[in-house]
Amino acid sequence: MNEVPVTLWVNGQTYAVRVSPRKLLSDVIREDIGLTGTHVGCEHGVCGACTVWVDDRPTRSCLMFAIQAEGHAVTTIEALAQHGQLNVLQQALHEEHGLQCGFCTPGIVMTMEAYLHEHPNPTVDDIRDALSGNLCRCTGYQNIVAGVQKAARVFAQNSSGATSAAGNESTHLSEGGREYV
Amino acid sequence: MKPAIFTYRRPATLHEALKLLEETGDEGKVIAGGQSLVPMMNMRLARPEYLVDINDLDDLRYIHPFEEGIDIGSLTRHDELERSAILRRLCPIVPTAAHFIGHYAIRQRGTIGGSMAHADPAAELPLLAVLLDATLTIASLDNTRSQTAREFFLSMYTTDLQPNEILTAVRFPVIPPDSGWSFKEFSRRAGDFALVSAACTMQLNSSGSVEQLHLALGGADLIPISVDASIASFIGERPDARWRQAVAKAALNDLEPMSDVHASTQDRLDWLALTVDQVLTQSSLRANVEIGEQASHTPEEEKL
Amino acid sequence: MSDAVLDSAVHHQTFTAIGQSMPRVEDYRLLTGTAKYLDDIEVPHALHATFVRSPYAHARIFRIQTDQAMAVPGVVAVVTGQDLARWTQPARMAPPIEGLFPMEMTTLPIDKVRFDGDPVACVVAADRYTAEDAAELVMVEYEVLPAVTDMFAAAEEGTPLVDETLSSNLVSHQTYAKGNVAGRFAEADVIVEATFSQHRQTHVPMETRGCVAVWDDGRQHLTFYIGTQVPHPMRTTLAARMGLKETQVNVISPDIGGAFGQKIALYREELTVAALARELHRPIRWREDRMENLRAASHAREDFVKTRAAVTKDGRILALHADLFSDFGAYSFFPANYMIRVVAMLLPGPYKIQDYSYEVKVALTNKCPAGPMRAPMAIASWVTEGTIDAVARKLKLDPVEVRRINMLKQDDLPYLTATTELYEDITPRETLDRAVHSFDYHVRRKEQERLRVQGKYRGIGICSVIESTTYGSEFYRKAGISGTGHEAAWVRIEPTGVVNASAGIMGSGQGYETVMTQAVADGLGCNPHDVAIHLGNTLLAPYGMGSRGSRGAVAGVGTTFLAAQQARIKVLAIAAHLLKLRSSKDLQLTDGQVVLETDGQWRPTGLNLRDIAQTAYLNPLALPDGMEPGIEAHVAYDPPAMTYSNSTHICEVEVHLDTGVISVGPYLVVEDAGTMLNPQLVEGQLLGATALGIGGVLFEHVVYDENGQNLTASLMDYLLPTAVETPEIQMIHMGTPNHRTPAGIKGMSEGGVMGAIGAVCNAVSDALSPLGIVVEQQPLSPSYIKSLVKKASKTAR
Repeated sequence: MNEVPVTLWVNGQTYAVRVSPRKLLSDVIREDIGLTGTHVGCEHGVCGACTVWVDDRPTRSCLMFAIQAEGHAVTTIEALAQHGQLNVLQQALHEEHGLQCGFCTPGIVMTMEAYLHEHPNPTVDDIRDALSGNLCRCTGYQNIVAGVQKAARVFAQNSSGATSAAGNESTHLSEGGREYV
Repeated sequence: MKPAIFTYRRPATLHEALKLLEETGDEGKVIAGGQSLVPMMNMRLARPEYLVDINDLDDLRYIHPFEEGIDIGSLTRHDELERSAILRRLCPIVPTAAHFIGHYAIRQRGTIGGSMAHADPAAELPLLAVLLDATLTIASLDNTRSQTAREFFLSMYTTDLQPNEILTAVRFPVIPPDSGWSFKEFSRRAGDFALVSAACTMQLNSSGSVEQLHLALGGADLIPISVDASIASFIGERPDARWRQAVAKAALNDLEPMSDVHASTQDRLDWLALTVDQVLTQSSLRANVEIGEQASHTPEEEKL
Repeated sequence: MSDAVLDSAVHHQTFTAIGQSMPRVEDYRLLTGTAKYLDDIEVPHALHATFVRSPYAHARIFRIQTDQAMAVPGVVAVVTGQDLARWTQPARMAPPIEGLFPMEMTTLPIDKVRFDGDPVACVVAADRYTAEDAAELVMVEYEVLPAVTDMFAAAEEGTPLVDETLSSNLVSHQTYAKGNVAGRFAEADVIVEATFSQHRQTHVPMETRGCVAVWDDGRQHLTFYIGTQVPHPMRTTLAARMGLKETQVNVISPDIGGAFGQKIALYREELTVAALARELHRPIRWREDRMENLRAASHAREDFVKTRAAVTKDGRILALHADLFSDFGAYSFFPANYMIRVVAMLLPGPYKIQDYSYEVKVALTNKCPAGPMRAPMAIASWVTEGTIDAVARKLKLDPVEVRRINMLKQDDLPYLTATTELYEDITPRETLDRAVHSFDYHVRRKEQERLRVQGKYRGIGICSVIESTTYGSEFYRKAGISGTGHEAAWVRIEPTGVVNASAGIMGSGQGYETVMTQAVADGLGCNPHDVAIHLGNTLLAPYGMGSRGSRGAVAGVGTTFLAAQQARIKVLAIAAHLLKLRSSKDLQLTDGQVVLETDGQWRPTGLNLRDIAQTAYLNPLALPDGMEPGIEAHVAYDPPAMTYSNSTHICEVEVHLDTGVISVGPYLVVEDAGTMLNPQLVEGQLLGATALGIGGVLFEHVVYDENGQNLTASLMDYLLPTAVETPEIQMIHMGTPNHRTPAGIKGMSEGGVMGAIGAVCNAVSDALSPLGIVVEQQPLSPSYIKSLVKKASKTAR
């Protein structure tokens, strides 16, 4: 019904879909494009599970209509790990047990990855403040904070602030998986 | 929780947008950041027939300083306010308060114009607009008008903005370097809408007495309110603890904030009194700081 | 399973994988967005269901008009309770428990609605957007009835009935007494009374409820995808309610985005979707939205307890009596006394109290039905420890001293409680002493005094927890509830020497796949990288009782460990035969290599697990005479009626009298969960449980108004704690093995909730003690604290 053609640019690829203008970006990413790593937790902008990047800015995809994303670059969780290797933040969350059921995890990774780009030396309070827009019911947040701190230390060591997949310039850091500290 | 059907329009220019609004009349709704509108649409509490998306109007995205003030385009995002070096220098209360708007991801998308037009009684930027008596620029197809913030907000979620108009800019005055200022809010959790908030600017004379004083309150009424008139008589005195208490009492006189599931009227009055005391204290401290050292030495605001 | 296997499992103490903080095998898919939760399962041509819900708490349904909704393009069906009654059986909850009324409910309400959010019709359409459009057009005519929203009022005579087939809203009422309670009260120097009121909360898993039903008309078979903690019991119930044989239903549980007890029952919406898939011959999916989840999924914790303790003047508790009252909401998805009974059972806690009596009442109200939420007995430890603190206050003794006077010591174990629970291998005194010492309790007490002079109100709260875990079949028998506590597992070594394994439990974030991998690796003697765990498919997994009551570790992982050990026996028997040894007693499988002990040294034999598997599958003639080809072990195990973990939570709070805000921290937990399968995961569970408890005490609150309208049905109003409000928690582990369970496992993950509630509440009472304030109800919102402070200062004046 009242569907219109919409062209989206997601994770570097073009997708031409037909959707109703009222269809939320979160639903189109999941149902029409088939990238189901973006999770829908509340549909009123509180839980943060659906966070993606629009033009590299973390954005609630449940608070945007897909049609609004036309002409903008959308990045989802699926783009972060490359060649089967977790990126620095993902790896740190894995090592620090910063996830349990994992439903909130993609939103947290997308939020904190962007945050660390912009704030390379966050304090624990900064991290908790930035994380406060993502609800997690399993972990009590403590290990997520530890994971983000660990990733920040790795970024600092890389000094360039590189946040790309561990498979690229930071390969040496992820060998063996756990020798960051 | 899926929105009702609407027709989507995405004008490329302000002129085009205003033309669309003329056509759609009461059925049209402007969407900017959408961080308040879309939740309401998903809950079907808002169901516009036409959605006019102004996100392509890049001309409305700027922070321009000039002699007595700073013009901020209505499409400027909260995160841009928060990070603006210009604002930090010329009107530091704005980036300070902007940090408390929602959460990190919300601030990337939400806009100053959207916040003004939505007119939540507890929102941060409307409070500052009232405190500083910001000037709003409002355009329609055949007219551009200016209005002061104190006239703009009419009631809860209600402003003087007409269906055929778009808020295009907000002009804040410069806060002089020797002026003290402070913003505080009280909320249950990080990033929540404030239950109450207060903001203040203050200038002291060379003997340490208050020379100028502005105070505005959020969550105290259906709209953010300036209480300058109630506290005018306290200008000329030294801002000590007794003075602060008296000011707070006068400021809250006759107010009856709303009661809801999170706080009673009395709770809000109690927290307002504390919040007012804190912004007065902080403002007077800042006003005492020697000019020039202010920027680097003033601490960041924090919550109650 | 032979006794020898269990015996060896209980006493086998050398682990290489168990006890290691092995990083989770689940994580890669969860971190990269490639996990499959329910909505990620693509089902071609699936329709979408949505429910029309009652806006009233209590109302008669006169008429439901569906024609306007049916006229919306894309709508396939609109059905009501009348329709569902033709297609499904009602649910009857009638365990033979004295004082418990039987209850019955239809799949959707037919005559009246009983709470705000009760589903009255289901719309099925091509997509969810259309379904919601149509749902708005379903016209229901109601006659509004008076709503019963307060559990105490509900139980009074003359109150309108929530369930009109009952004679009273008091759906359950039992008493219990052990010892000579009256006599002890007569002997007491003092009688100390305390009250505890806990507020209604809800689970809020980040993934809401949902399901996909696919009916295969040719095979007459239903595939039901649902994130459920209990796949097999779900299958049994679903088949029964649909009039199908269990062979006609397969339940598949994908990755689950949190459950916390909310994903155990077969809910009415889920049954409706399954029935509609069969009737319409179309696959149907349903995803609950967040507002529905908060309003109509399941609520918990609305309990009230009043205690009376008979005490000597030196602080010894002679006897305890408790009156318990619980609000069960509008329908019975569980036996109404099920959860509050466990509270009563646990109330004596880690204390030597043999003279104990209680009275338990449960009332129906026009509110969302109650169900178990992570630590359904959450209030218990607060009640016990709050009572101890009340004794200390009354006698002006240090609360730690009162605890020590009454607490069980190692000499007292094993200990049969007044409620006939058997405590073994617990260490309450040790965790208390360790907590008090590590927290610098006495230093902090002095600091507290000093700060009070400056107008700062700090308080220290202690809460020792006895955490019931595992729930074996014997527990259910004693409780009079149908159900069992056994679990089953299989381990299959494939021809290439890699290992598949499964059990009936189903994880929702606990990391079962990881700890089961560890258990298989140690039970069998292989490399964890060669193990794959398969959960949640009832055709694949053996029939088990699923995940509830912290039974994953002992029942789930323990049974898997036993199955792996069973498989090892066969592996070593084959190895002995190939090596021409008379027996396998000197052989061992280590990291997949068969090693032989000679002269006290383990030496390689040149055989590995792959060689053995190849022989077992591809060269059966080389097997010992009479041995079956292949290597599969299938084990069922019924664990002890109950195992107990224990812990002591200790924390400091500061109460800001002017704002009413409470800051929590530092916070320490000393815990004894027995053998830790994976310390990092144990800590993760403890952190999550403790945070959930703290959030519950300070923030979360389901609020109904006097008409039964839910005022907190969004995440802007139902306040979950964020990273900013959740304090840092320190942890110390003791690790006393349980001598009855495989590998000494005890299980854990609910005690954190119990301890947090007690520690925070007790700390706040301690902080406010100079004002004569005791907190008797939660949540400790700033508004409530302020009101207490105001009242106290008025009284002082």
